[in-house]
Formats: sequence, structure tokens, C-alpha cells
Amino acid sequence: MPDTKKIRIFMTGVGGQGTLTATTLLAKTALSQGLTVTSGEIHGMAQRGGVVESTVLIGCKSPKIGIGEADILLGFEPMETMRALPYLRQGGLVVSSTEYMPPLSVAMGKQECPTIDDIKKAVATCTSKVYFMANQSIGLEAGAVQSGNIAMLGALCAAGELPFGPEALEAAIKANLPAKIQAVNLKALELGVKALNS
Amino acid sequence: MANPLLGDTPGDTHLLLGNEAIVRGAVEAGIQVVTCYPGTPSSEVPDTFYRISPDGKYYFEYSVNEKVALEVAGGATLAGAMSMCTMKHVGVNVAADPLMTLCYVGAPGGLMLLSADDPGCHSSQNEQDNRIYARLGGMPVLEPASAQEAKDMARDGLLLSRKHGAPLLLRTTTRVNHLRGPVEFGPAPDPGKPEGFKRNPPHFVPIPAFSRPMHVRLMERMEALREEAENSPYNTVTGNGKYGIVCSGISRAYVADALDNAGLADKVTVLELGFSNPLPENKCLAFLQSVDTVLVVEELEPVVENDLRVLAQKHGLSLDIKGKDVLPRNGEFDVTMVENAIREGLGEAPVPTCECSLPELPGRPPNLCAGCPHRGTYYAARKVFGDDAVYSSDIGCYTLGLLPPLQTADFLLCMGSSISAGGGLAKASGQKVVAFIGDSTFFHSGLTGVANAVFNAHDVLIVILDNRTTAMTGHQPNPGVDKTVIGDNDHPLDIESAVRGLGVTEVRTVNPFNQKKTMAAMEELGTMSGVRVLIAKEPCPLYTRRVYKKVAPQVAYVAESCTGRFDCLDKLACPAMFKEGGKAAVNPILCNGCMLCLQVCGHIKAKKRGS
Ligand code: SF4
Ligand code: SF4
Repeated sequence: MPDTKKIRIFMTGVGGQGTLTATTLLAKTALSQGLTVTSGEIHGMAQRGGVVESTVLIGCKSPKIGIGEADILLGFEPMETMRALPYLRQGGLVVSSTEYMPPLSVAMGKQECPTIDDIKKAVATCTSKVYFMANQSIGLEAGAVQSGNIAMLGALCAAGELPFGPEALEAAIKANLPAKIQAVNLKALELGVKALNS
Repeated sequence: MANPLLGDTPGDTHLLLGNEAIVRGAVEAGIQVVTCYPGTPSSEVPDTFYRISPDGKYYFEYSVNEKVALEVAGGATLAGAMSMCTMKHVGVNVAADPLMTLCYVGAPGGLMLLSADDPGCHSSQNEQDNRIYARLGGMPVLEPASAQEAKDMARDGLLLSRKHGAPLLLRTTTRVNHLRGPVEFGPAPDPGKPEGFKRNPPHFVPIPAFSRPMHVRLMERMEALREEAENSPYNTVTGNGKYGIVCSGISRAYVADALDNAGLADKVTVLELGFSNPLPENKCLAFLQSVDTVLVVEELEPVVENDLRVLAQKHGLSLDIKGKDVLPRNGEFDVTMVENAIREGLGEAPVPTCECSLPELPGRPPNLCAGCPHRGTYYAARKVFGDDAVYSSDIGCYTLGLLPPLQTADFLLCMGSSISAGGGLAKASGQKVVAFIGDSTFFHSGLTGVANAVFNAHDVLIVILDNRTTAMTGHQPNPGVDKTVIGDNDHPLDIESAVRGLGVTEVRTVNPFNQKKTMAAMEELGTMSGVRVLIAKEPCPLYTRRVYKKVAPQVAYVAESCTGRFDCLDKLACPAMFKEGGKAAVNPILCNGCMLCLQVCGHIKAKKRGS
């Protein structure tokens, strides 16, 4: 395998959102490009609704990303983006959703989520390379809310920080996802790339 | 098409989960019998074996608990079958009894025990380091650090175990079980039929007269395995320099990345121990003599560190050995932590840290799913017993009932303890005890607890939360289930008959979504004394969707008339519900249509799903 620059991607979302599907797809895309890749996932006791954290590391041996080690933070839920900020290295890239999945305490009216402005401010203290997008809406536009994650992967590939672009992801979708969900996800990919450029 | 994990396709590369890679390794070794009790982070190993079992050439079973699983695998290896038994770290405590003796009796067909340890307690009640079990029993240990190694070590470990007749421990940690990486396949030959049992009582019947020579043979076996470790390709020395690092397990990956990050790879000599027990003493001694400081990088207990200290003392070496004095004994490591330990040892400045501070964010603790039947049982128990009862809990999804507002888990020890520890608490204090236990846990070790409670006249109300599956670890079948992902259960056991068979006379079965009946049964049983059992029977909705392919036809909605009293949210805490403009509301996508909330508040109504 070619000697590549190390890239550590930290992904975070809420259980049931499809974070792990996106993680595996990104890892397979990297592998298809001949890159050394490891990936990892941690999902605690949560069947659903808990925090899910996963990683894709290119050119590394470890599957884990520690505090301050991530080059890229992909947040499928805005408050989880904020929670995961300590993992980002100064000046890293952030791609985050703007659409909340409120935890129970917030749904019950006992606590409040930080506002998108709070989150943007917090991110701005760490980096200026930031893209926010409405991934659930984009997913719905493409045909399935979970495909919003693929839209975010598309945006990430188009952001130019990875050693491959959206075409590689497109090929990986065609090679790895079941036929009946391919069209939706290809559409989501296209919308994600567009969202990044707009 | 058969699953690629079963194919004889050497040279293929697949991106595999560590746990899937272990399955592939076993297939390449010619695995014949697999037994398990599921437990995160090990669960995907047996689940994968199970899923592909219709095409596999091995026998697979979900055993009722880890002790039984190891005994079944133990019997199989005595019949010459290459066998594997999988569990999480705390499962080995359950299996410890047969394990210690199996190490004496040996494993003619080969026997690998997978212990998935959980540094950091991602999904466990403790962080125990099972490499210590291997030292206690006398087992060789392999510790993979990548998906490729998980596969290779599973294969090589089984072959090594068969060669020496020695039960072997494949010790993983959560990060290894749940990492994904490319795995290059080797050949997967047909395993054929096991040779069958050959009678030899002095070898296989550990009465004292036979056990003594067995112990001698065990020690000889370990010496032979020490030779294997000396020459193992999993034990390597790289780099150069007077600063030495010894590492095992996933820490090897952290060390490699740390050295790379720091650009220190040529300043240190690294001894990687993938085959970590028995210690390859010659190799380690030569290493210790070649450096003047050693940093041992291993998560959890100072196992290798202590081995090396003993070795150094034995040979009068005075070099400085560091380990748990600079790296933590609890939790997981990461690359930066390891890098900083190395930098400190070499007198270099630590990695700069980012100072960003975050406000306290609302937590996102795991919660019982929307439509979970346990919510119905717990809600009723809270209503009937409130804070008057002590709630004895057990291991499963239902432990999540500990959170407010349900608060129905006051203490917990281990699988099956709710009944026995609950009985003990009641005996000691005279307090009213309600013990909750799931169906899978009931078969795991609740049965013995019931027998004990009846025999010793404990005073305990046992509530069996029968959700018809083993939900927490991913819906594995247990003896009570009707159906599994690959077909029907031909021998479903009836919990009510089992409990009656154990001598409990007061047994009621209810559907926890029927609040009236559930509360009435709890009230009735609550006033009695002795051992009483309430079976709250209703399948887990996720399982119903996955296995029965059924969803409830209705969902709940909150009528305009809602007065904003929020009893539903405050007392039920169903994740499908939320506050909106001073009123309660239901997210129809998340609602599983259990109709529990309708019984809590008259302003909540049902409608057809999708309408
Ligand atoms: S019916 Fe009510 S309690 Fe049941 S899942 Fe739906 S919202 Fe939750
Ligand atoms: S998985 Fe099933 S049993 Fe477990 S919390 Fe969810 S609904 Fe309840």
C-alpha cells in the first residue's frame, strides 16, 4: 500500500441514524483507493438514542482517535458535533448537520440544546474550515432521511481534504450498497456535493 | 451464494470487523464446533457464525450461559473436534470452574476461548483483565491488534491449541472487536469429521490421583509453548536505540502511530508481544539486555510488566522498567497518551494541547426504546410499590430502568444475581424486594436462583421481563424464543412451567402493556410472602420488526385537549414524546404503537399509522 499522509476522521451521531453504515462505506471507499485504512466504532449500552462514535483512519494502525487528534470531524447531529469538538485538532475540518435530534431531557423540556449560533461560535474557536448542512432535509429530498449521512460524506469528499473525491464514493456506493437503495444514496451524494459548493 | 467468510478463496481481501475476522480465522483453521453466550463486545463473533451456519461445516450453539458453553466445547474437543467458545470478559467468571480444570484435562481437538475484555467499560460492569485468568489456569495467550491479526491469530491459535492439546486464550479488547480493517484471506480447507473420543481415564478424569500428573503435564505443555512463543512471528523486535518499549494487544497500534507521529521510530527499540503468554523469556531477556530503560505499554493490569520485572530480577538486571507508574491502570489508552509517555521517557516536551472549553451539554444517556415493554412493567411497579420496595436488577436492556423517572434498579451484581442477591437483602433486612430479570438471564442463571429462593424460603417478588429474546446484545435466541432470524425454535421452553417446576406456586403471567392487569397482579403478589413470580410477557418491538416482520398498526398522538400536565413525559419518558408549545406531542416516526401512554393520560389517542 502506498505511503500516505495520515488522516483521522471522527464521526459522531445518534444511535439509529445510520452513522455506522456511513462509516463502513467511507472505509470501503478508502480501501478501494488502495489506501491503508482502519476504522472503529463505539456504541455503549444504547440500543437506540445514545451517542454513537466511530472513526476512519487513513494511513494509521490504531482504530481510535484521542482528544485533539482528529483531522476531520463529521457530526451527524449538531449538538454531538459540539460535544465531539475536543477530538478535533486545531485547524481541522468540520462538516456538521444543523438539524437536531433532541435527547430525552430536552424533549421533556428539562434542558436546552445549545443554539446553532452557540455551536458555530464554539467551532470557530477551533477552526475556520467549517461546513454546516441540513442533512436530514437533504436526505428527505433525496428520498430517505438516513441518506442525509451519505450527503454529508459526499460533501466531505468534495471538500478536498481527502486523497479522493466524490467519484470514489459514488463507485463505492454502487459496489457496496444493496441495489434498491443505490438511487436514493447517489442522489443524496449529488445533493451533498451541491450543498457544499453553495 | 454462500457468505464470503466461508469461501475457499485465498488471496481475497475484505474489509472486516475484528469480530468477523475471528470467524474467518476459525474457518481457515477448520473449526468444527462453536459455542457461546453473547456479550458485548464479543457478540458479533457468534452472531456471524450463527448467521452463516446454514452453509457452514461446523456445529453452532447459543448455550444458556458461559459455563455451559465452555463445557459443551470442552466435550467436543475431547471428541477430537476443533472447538471454539466465545464470551465477554465477565463471562469467563461464569466459566471459570470448568476452565481451570479443562487446562488440566487438555484439548485434544483444539480449543480456543475468546475473551473480549472491555477496558473503559463501554458496555460492562467492570474492566477486569483476563490475561490473569490465563496465568491462573495455564493457557497460552494471543492478543491481536488489527483485523488481519484477529483473523490470523484465530487460525493459528486453534492450530497451536490442537498441536499441543492446550486450551488457548484469544484475548481481545473492545477496540479490536469493533475495529474494521482489510483482511487478506488464506485457504479454507474442508474440516472433515472429528476423530471421535478415545477412552483414556488417567488423562480425562481429574480424580486426585490423576490430577497430580495432569498438573505436571500442564506445566510441561506450557514449557513447550514457551518455545513456540520464542519463535513466534507474533513476537517481534524492531528499531534500535537504548530506550525500549514492550507492548501487547491494541497498545501495539498506539505505539506504532505514536512513534510515527513523534518521528521517534529510530530512537527506540520495540518488542511487540502478540503471543504474550507463556513469556518468551530468552527473547525478552535479550531485549532487556539490549536497552537501558523499558516502558511497558499495556492496557489494564501490569501483567507483562510484572513478568518482565521477575525476569530482570532473576537475571540480576538493574535497568529501569516503567509501566503503570506512568500510564493508567484503568480505562483505555490512546495514541497521544502513549506518545506523551514515550516523550517523557526520552526527555521531550509533551504534545501541545488545545485549550478549547465547552459548556455543559445535555447528556444523551441510553434509554429504553419507544414502545419497550419493560417501560410498561416498570411504570406499573413504580405505581404499585413506589419507593417502598427495593428493586433488585439484573443484566439486560431492563437495567436502563435505573434512570428517572422509572428508577427501578437499586442494585446489581452480575448475571442472575437479582433473584439471589434480592433474596439475601430481604433476609437480612426484612425489606420488601422486587427482583427484575430478563428471559435470557433467567435461563442463564436465574433458574438456580429460583431453586435457591424456594429451598431457603426467601421472601422475594420476582418479575421476569420476558421480551422473547436477548435484546441487549442484539436479539440472540434463548431457550424461550419462538423464532430466530434463521428459523423457528424447535424446542421452546415455557418459563411459567419452569418456575412452577421449581416449586413456585404463586405465578401470574401478564402483558405489561395492559396496565390494569399488570398493576392488579403486582398488588396481589405484593401482599403475599415467600417466592412469587410475575411474568411480564411481550416481545421487544425491535425484535418483532426484525424477526416477525411486524409493526404495530397504530401510533399515538396527543389531542388538542392536552392540558400540559405532562404526566406522560414526566413519568413514562418514552423517547417518542416531546414538549411542543406547552403541550405534549408524539413523533409518529419513533412511536412503536405500544399504546401505553394512552393508559396514562386520556388526552392521548391512537390513530392509524401513516394517517
Ligand atoms: S404509544 Fe405512546 S408510549 Fe408507546 S411508543 Fe408510542 S408514544 Fe411511546
Ligand atoms: S431493544 Fe427491545 S427490549 Fe431493549 S430497550 Fe429496546 S425495545 Fe426494550
